[in-house]
Amino acid sequence: MIADNDIALWRGEDGQIRAWENRCPHRGMRLSYGIVRGNTLTCLYHGWSYDGAGACAGIPAHPDLTPPKTIRAKAYRAADSGGFIWVANPGETTAAPSIDGDWVPNRSVHIDQAPASLNELADGMGAGLMSKITDHAAIVRVPGVEGEILLAFLDMKEHGAMIHTSVPASASEDAAIAVSKLSTRLRQVFKASSAA
Amino acid sequence: MKLFDYVLSGNCYKIRLLLDFLELSHEKQAVDFFPGREHKSDAFLQINPLGQIPVLEDDGAYIRDAQAILVYLASRYDPTGTWWPVNDPSELGRVAQWLAFADSITSTASAARLHDVLGYDLDVAQARAGAHKLFRILDDHLANQELQGFNWIAGSNPTVADVACFPYVALAGDGGIELFYYPAIQRWIRRFVNLPRFKLMPGINIFN
Repeated sequence: MIADNDIALWRGEDGQIRAWENRCPHRGMRLSYGIVRGNTLTCLYHGWSYDGAGACAGIPAHPDLTPPKTIRAKAYRAADSGGFIWVANPGETTAAPSIDGDWVPNRSVHIDQAPASLNELADGMGAGLMSKITDHAAIVRVPGVEGEILLAFLDMKEHGAMIHTSVPASASEDAAIAVSKLSTRLRQVFKASSAA
Repeated sequence: MKLFDYVLSGNCYKIRLLLDFLELSHEKQAVDFFPGREHKSDAFLQINPLGQIPVLEDDGAYIRDAQAILVYLASRYDPTGTWWPVNDPSELGRVAQWLAFADSITSTASAARLHDVLGYDLDVAQARAGAHKLFRILDDHLANQELQGFNWIAGSNPTVADVACFPYVALAGDGGIELFYYPAIQRWIRRFVNLPRFKLMPGINIFN
């Protein structure tokens, strides 16, 4: 889900990540139930298939038909970087961030209350900001935890926020677990004001 | 061996899963749980005075309680000794701990589902809040297991703890409990449905 839009994420054999509106243009079936073969995604419902760019590539009930160009899955811009998958909001034109180094995904945690800013999130984690990547992502350090942490959050408004962390590929298991536990603790810091 | 079964029951599904995982031949006797309330009938109360399903009949004895049946089947019929790891006391302790946790999932997530699907009269907001509390604990645990290289609740092998927790977690959406918030749980569900001889039940629409 990105800003109330349900997204189907998939990778073809070419390894490229794709983020599409989770809705087959034919009958509205969720494309996330579909089947990936090669670099095409086939809808589970009536088998309409879509190439990696979102264009309809085949309709089983009309095998001889070349599908009209107007039949397309709605694609969002998506990219891999820093161990995260980044999906652009509709209408957003900024390029996907490029993050140096080799990162591995660490943790994704839901918190009840979205932080007001990246600074508030870093404070809540006891982290110092090293370099800001976007308004919602930064490289941080936490005293006592070895290595840098890539920290990002997805503001889901009244549904709280998802916090995502990555650690350098070279990080030890102890460091990875320490970062995961820091993420878990954010649930206590950013809890709903009404929560008991 | 005979299972007193109801197809829409997550607790019966636990037993069906383990019977399939262990490739045990058995028969099933359908209990008209809804709307017939056959589990509360005089005849069924003779079998289980608690009026609950599932019940397993084996060797002339009746065993009740989903978790107890899982323990019984695994200890008696699993030649690998991995589903109920009796030779590893510390792992066994963890398995037993998560079996009790599975019972708490039943009293929250399953209650919310009974409210939404079968119209049971209960405090659904409280049931959902209780389920979310437990799912956070499970999500944190599974995420930390993954970071240590363990794919399953108690360690590197699936155990009866995974079987006991799986149904009402995977069915949570039926009770209005969104699993979107629990990425580690979602990854564990995906691993679970890819276990050999896994079978779906109605309401679990995840494909392997």
